Amino acid sequence: MKRLLVVAAVLLLAGNVQAGGNAASGKTKAAQVCAACHGPEGNKPVAPENPILAGQHQDYLVKALKDYKAGRRNNAIMKGFAATLSHQDMEDLAAWFSSQQSNLHFQR
Amino acid sequence: MPTRTVIAVALLALCGAAQAQQPAVPSHLKNNLSMCIGCHGIAGYKTAYPEVYHVPKLGGQSPTYLVNALKAYRSGERMHPSMRGIAASLSDKDMEELAAYYGGTGK
Repeated sequence: MKRLLVVAAVLLLAGNVQAGGNAASGKTKAAQVCAACHGPEGNKPVAPENPILAGQHQDYLVKALKDYKAGRRNNAIMKGFAATLSHQDMEDLAAWFSSQQSNLHFQR
Repeated sequence: MPTRTVIAVALLALCGAAQAQQPAVPSHLKNNLSMCIGCHGIAGYKTAYPEVYHVPKLGGQSPTYLVNALKAYRSGERMHPSMRGIAASLSDKDMEELAAYYGGTGK
């Protein structure tokens, strides 16, 4: 029984961590909030200061948005946008951008 | 040609193909780059602290963004214990060179 509980707890945790987002919802939100600076797919930033988001790791994108909102990343523009996003919004946006194509790649 | 030679040649050719995907590392960059590789040079690597998530992909990223990110870590505007320590050891020129290495080359 104890083992079962542990397994159940781990599964629950895994579910939370990977709860992931809905890319379709993310696409809609991205068009309203992010697209003007990062491009609708996150692969055509309008300025070199803006990062490419397409193809980036999903959990890293969520972490970045959370950090902007919390002030752990201090950027006046992104703080304003992130402040309007719920955790689900962040998950959805990350699901959308991480699944888009770009030149972003793993490099040693 | 003996079979062994053929295999050796094939292996060498494979090595060449594998290395072709990574840009050559300029010798003056090697020291600084060695700090990045421990985390960003391992495909699928995740941080252990303070939170668990995949470290970002740097290849193909905008060099301007990368330099700004390093400077923000150095100044503490962007909080991350390990990145702050690493960025603190880099000069502006170091940052520009690293950013050019990661962002300057397409896939």
